[in-house]
Formats: sequence, structure tokens, C-alpha cells
Amino acid sequence: MKRYSIGAMAALLVSVAMPALAADLTIGRAAEPSSIDPQFSRTGNNQGTAQLMFGRLIEQDANLQISPGLATEWTAVDDTTWDIKLRDGVKFHDGSTMTADDVIFSLERTDEVPNSPAPFSDMVSSIDSMEKVDDLTVRITTKEPAPALIEDIGRVFIISKAAAEGKTSEDFNSGDATVGTGPYKFVSFKPGESLTIEAFDGYWGEQPDFKEVEVRFISNDAARVAALLSGSVDLIDAVPPADVARLESQDGINVVSAASGRVIYLGLSQRFAQAPGVFDLDGKPLEENPFRDARVRKAISLMIDRQLVVDRILGGAGVPAGQLVPSVLGGHAEDLGPDQVDINKAKELLTEAGYPDGFGLKLYSSNNRFPGDGDLVQALGQMLTRGGLKVMGVEALPYNVYSKAASAGDYGAFVFSLGSSTPTSAPNLSSLIQTYDKEAGTGAFNRVRFSSEEFDKALSVALQEFDPEKRNELLAEATRIAFAQTPIVPLYWQKVFWGAREGITINGGLSEYTLAQDVKKTD
Amino acid sequence: MTAFLIRRLVQAVIVLIVTSVIVFTGVFAIGDPLEILLPADASMAEREQVAESLGLNDPLPVQYLGFVTDALQGNFGRSFVYNRPATEVILERLPATLELTFTALVISLVIGIPLGLWAGVRAGSATDETIMTGSILGFSLPNFWQGMMLIMIFSVTLGWLPSTGRGETGTILGIETSFATWDGLKHLLLPAINLALAQTALVIRLTRTGVQETMPLDFIKFARARGISSPRILFVHVMKNILIPIVTVIGIEFGSLVAFAVVTETIFAWPGIGKLIIDSINALDRPIIVSYILIVVTMFIVINFCVDALYSLLDPRIRVSAQ
Repeated sequence: MKRYSIGAMAALLVSVAMPALAADLTIGRAAEPSSIDPQFSRTGNNQGTAQLMFGRLIEQDANLQISPGLATEWTAVDDTTWDIKLRDGVKFHDGSTMTADDVIFSLERTDEVPNSPAPFSDMVSSIDSMEKVDDLTVRITTKEPAPALIEDIGRVFIISKAAAEGKTSEDFNSGDATVGTGPYKFVSFKPGESLTIEAFDGYWGEQPDFKEVEVRFISNDAARVAALLSGSVDLIDAVPPADVARLESQDGINVVSAASGRVIYLGLSQRFAQAPGVFDLDGKPLEENPFRDARVRKAISLMIDRQLVVDRILGGAGVPAGQLVPSVLGGHAEDLGPDQVDINKAKELLTEAGYPDGFGLKLYSSNNRFPGDGDLVQALGQMLTRGGLKVMGVEALPYNVYSKAASAGDYGAFVFSLGSSTPTSAPNLSSLIQTYDKEAGTGAFNRVRFSSEEFDKALSVALQEFDPEKRNELLAEATRIAFAQTPIVPLYWQKVFWGAREGITINGGLSEYTLAQDVKKTD
Repeated sequence: MTAFLIRRLVQAVIVLIVTSVIVFTGVFAIGDPLEILLPADASMAEREQVAESLGLNDPLPVQYLGFVTDALQGNFGRSFVYNRPATEVILERLPATLELTFTALVISLVIGIPLGLWAGVRAGSATDETIMTGSILGFSLPNFWQGMMLIMIFSVTLGWLPSTGRGETGTILGIETSFATWDGLKHLLLPAINLALAQTALVIRLTRTGVQETMPLDFIKFARARGISSPRILFVHVMKNILIPIVTVIGIEFGSLVAFAVVTETIFAWPGIGKLIIDSINALDRPIIVSYILIVVTMFIVINFCVDALYSLLDPRIRVSAQ
């Protein structure tokens, strides 16, 4: 009997239920943010979500290049003092005007968000003190000269002091504290399901093309593609390379591609006196670590046919790489192209290094981190065999298991990737190939423990340079010094794809963000 | 009966403790959450800050003891990824999974039992052959593939039903559910069918076997001899006798469906707990994983208990022997 009454009530309620809100634009996104609090985590998913609703002191375009945002001018008064001029008349979503108080509050809260799994702390770590000069001027004193201060603090999302003071990350998820200056206003967030936003009339910049936007989180690749094909979403990101050709051939669907800043590389560990997974020709562990010899590293780089990898394994979804960051980022060294296959030269180098007949090694990779990672390591195995090394095994593991072992130095030769989220190569150079030093906090992801005094010096000179153009040149120079010794073997930069129904397109770029304000009508 | 209950309870507590130790050390052994949580350009200082705030610097036994102390006070820790209480994150998504599983279960019973009865009564006929062959397909085609086909046919080609998400939800008796709106029901249909397919095949087979075993028994012959109509024999007397195995299997299967509807939830982007657990395992979000497994274990214990209770309702013999 009870069941009947519930059924009857359900039938009743159906008739009074709210009508579904039709969004102007529905986006199917692969990854969801862990929080709406823009200062909670600086992983790509979260930043790519926060940018919908929150503004920053400087804006980044799709290729991460910076332009004035909420700050219009920044001048160095002396080596450790900066004056930051704020944009006049910027409105928050609640109608209040943004002032220096909000900026100071935001920067102060940055490293105080409790339990943040990926804090923005470094962005504000050089700040010694902040002072409000007037409503639109903030004076910042740094602990040491910090030429790139604006790039650092410019990455922090500015929140409203009035709305967010004393609030937790959860208050942002519910929308209570979600008051920003961005092009979209928060409407609702359902974890694991969707985020709904609405264009903000008082936005200081250009009004976006679409007013009501729903972002749905569809993690499964095939399901995301199907959602686009069935018309239930208008645009999807992270189109799997294997599906690109099919979507392109479909009527009414366009594919947009962009080179990403994620470099896939082969790490050759110089960490220990003996490299794990490296053997002599009889299969016994090799007594010395061959990867400590730059000639061996170069030889391996010369054995790899990057174009073949990109064409055959990724279906063209990559750009062969010879350094860390692609050409659109600052610090890219124009003359440093990818190594071309040269087996003879590789043989020569190996002979010089004392391995005329090569040596044995095992290759390791993740199998669920980026498209084709499991296949990539197989192909590398064959290429190294052709180059005269004895590949004794290839192993691909899930990323959550693999990453810990790779960082612990369990692998001698391993495939890894590194994404870019900054306008220049500086942070990547510093975390990946600067000498590992726990005290100084450098080389955090230098898993191979490459170390070159000359490079470290060149990098620190570059980081002290105040003139941005000059700094980029110095970064390129440091890159040249490092890559003369092949610190890692760069393979390729990924390409990323978006699929869109006819009539819309996205201005996508290296950041890989799928921002509603970048989606444009084409008709 | 009381002794039975107490024994059950003690067993349950032991199972929970053992599970928590296994899962806790297991997740600890898999990998380092910092590797996954931190952005690629994180500095050493940031790494240290995160390790400290998440309590990852302590040795494993210390971390476990801390967990147990908190758990005894009803606090299962905060998710590393979401920084919200783990149980809250899980319970928030549980209704979505429950309504999906419940719908799938109803579909499988409503379709499975009549078809099974039909096939059982007409064993060997063309109807029986057709139903049985169909059920083999339900079993053997991978759940994942079935889901993709449903989407391809009903969403992409025909455009009848939406393929992702939960749609508009409304509230019935204070619970947010898809049953409350037409849009929600439309979203529910495809994933529920996907989840129900294998289940239906199972119910068909169980019912058919039961009917075939029961029909030749003496009491059916006596019933016929007394002149009871065939439908009444089938739907009352036979049904009563074949329900026990069906209830057992369905009970356990319901638990599995709730806990591991992972494939369906992922394909249809259904915001339930199956999808949550996969994401959490990939991100090594230990508080979520541990709480989830403990909740699931508790759920299985409760379901088993309910199944036992149902037996005694269905079968007077069990009721008598228990007293």
C-alpha cells in the first residue's frame, strides 16, 4: 500500500516540478574541480574553473601570456618595493567596487587556506609586507629582490573581502562566498555533475558570447564524445586523439586543436652510482651508472624517431620537442630543435663512452596518465633496440603506483610528463633540472637528479633580471647550456583537441583550459 | 535470537577492523598522494606544507592510530582532494546511486520474473529457447559495451533519451531525487537499463530453474488434483517456493550494484559513489577510500541480515526452526 502512495505522490510532484533551465551553452568537460574556492588548489582543473568567475591582477591568454588584468601598472620603486596600481571601477558580482583592501585580503588568505592539497603559497612567499597606499594602490615590500613578483601574485585569484572574510572553502561551493570580478557569476555547483554560471553584466572586460552556461563533468572519453554527437552538449574538451578523425568527418561537428605545454620526456636517472634496471650484456646489474655520462644520454636521444612516435602512436597529436617549453612561451630557445635520428652518431657516442656493444636496460612508464603512454614506451623500447641497446623489459603501470616509485628513484629509464602553467619556462626549468636541494627548495621534480653548476648559475642570473625581454633571453641561454648535456630526453609536446557543434568554436590554447568566455559564435 | 544477534554484531566489528587495517595499509603501499595532488611546478616548501597539513609525514602506525581515534568519535577524516568530511562527500552522492540501483532492480524483477516463469513452464519450446538465448546475451556482453550501444542507439541515432548526468532533480519527502521530474526520469532510464541487463538475465535463469525444479514435485500434483487453477498454482504455490534463492542472490547483487556500479556511472556520468571511488583511488584520496570501503562492508552486513530475516518470512520452516 505504501508503495502506491509514494507512487501517487511522485506522479503529483512531477506535475509541479520546476521546468528545466535551458542553458545557452552546455560544455562537457573531462575533469571537475575539487572546489570552487579559487585559492584552494592550483591544479589545472581548479584554475580553469576559477577563471570563469574570478579575476586576477594580470590576465593570461590561452597561451599563458600575460596582460594587465585587475592591475593596470606595476612599478618597482626600488629593488624590494613594488607599487601595484589597480584598475578603476571594477565591480564584484554583488555590485560592490573592488579596492586595495580586497587585493590585500586575497593575497593574505592565499597561503592560509586550510588543508589545501596544492596551495598557491609560492605565489606570495616573496612578500614581506603589504600596505594600502590609497583605494587603488597597493605597496608590496619583498623579502629579496623579486623581478617576477607580478607574475607570481598575478596568478592569485582576487576574492571579495566582504563576502569571503571568515568563510571556508565549503562556503564557496555553496556560492555564499563566491563573489569575484570575472565574466561569469556563480549559479550552482553539483559535485561530480555540473557547474552552472551566468554572464555578469557589470564585468569590466568584454561580455562573453553566451549568457547561461552549464559545464557538465563527463570523465569517460567515449561518453563525452557520445554526448557531443547526440547533441546533449555543445562543446567537449580532451577529445581522445583516436576519435579526432571520426569527429572531423561528422557533419555539424568541428574539431579545434592546440599545442599544449605538456612535454613528454624520457628520464635517465643520474641519481645513484648504479642505475636501477640497467644491466650489462649478460644481464647482471651494471656496476657504474651509464646515464651519468652526457654522451650516453645524447646517444639515446639520437636513437628516438620523434616524428614516427607522433604520427603512429598519437595519430599526429603531438609536436616533436627538443626542450621543455614550446615556442609560444617565454624562454624557448629557437635554435634548439628536436634531435633527429642518427644511429651512427649514437653508436659513436656510446663507443666513446665505453659501451661499444651497448648495455641492457628496462623501460618504465605510466599507462593512464596521458594518451598513448603505454604504447609510447613499447615504441621507445624498439627504437633503443634498433639503436644498439639491449632492452630487457618494458613495464607500464597505473599512474598512482608509478609516480611514487619514479619519484623515489626506483627506475633508471622512465617516461614522464610535465605541464606548463606559467608564461615562461622559469618554473619548469627550476623544478625539473635545477640541482636538487631540499634546503634551498630547488629541483622539486628533478627525478633524474641532473646537476650542472653552469646551468644553475645561468638560471639564477635569469631569475634576477628585471626586464622581461632580457629575462626570456637569459632563460633561453640557460636552456641551451642545460640541453647541451641532455639533462632529460624531451620527446614531444602534446596536442589537445576540442570538439564543437557547428556554429561555435573555442579559442583554445596551451593552457588547455575550456573557458566559457573563450567560446565564440561563428555565425 | 539475542545470542544470534550478538554473535553477528561481534563478527561485524571484527570484519570492520580487519578491513580498515587492510585498506589503510594497502592505500599507503600503492603510492604517495602528494605526487598526484601537487601541481607540476610545486616547490619543496609547498610540498612540505601539504604533507604537514594532510598529516602524511607521520609513520603509518601513527597515522592509523589517529584515524581509529577519530573514527571512534564518528570522524572518518577529511578528503585530501575536496577538504570535506569523507563521509559527507560519500553520503552526498549515495542517493544518486541508490535511486539508480533501485530502479535497475525493479526493472530486472518486473521483466525477469515473468519471463523466467514463462520459460520455465514452457521448457524446451521456441519461446523458452528465445528467452534463454536472450539472457545469455545479457550476461556475456560486457556492461561497458552495452552502455555505449544504448547511448549510440537511443541518444545519438534516435535522440530519444539523454546520455549524461542526472538531469533535473526535485524533492520528494525531503529527499532530492530524479523520480520527481520528467527530465530526471528520462536521464535515469538509460543507465538503469544498462545496470539492469545482466541482473535481468540472472533473475530469468534463477526463476526458470526454480520453476523447472518445483513443477514436478508432489505438492503441485496434489494441488492440480484438488482442481486449483494453473495460474494460481504458478503464481502462488510455485512462486513461494522459488523466491528464496532469488531473494538471496538479489540481496547480494543489490549490494554489489550499489557498491560497484562503477562502469555504468562512469559511462553515463552519473554523479554517484561508484564514480567517486574510482576517482578517489586514482587520486589516492585515502580518507574517502577507507570510509567508502567501511560503508560498503557495513552495507553488506546489513543486507545479509535483511536477507536472513526475509527467509523466515518466506519460508515457515525456517521460522519454526529459529524459534
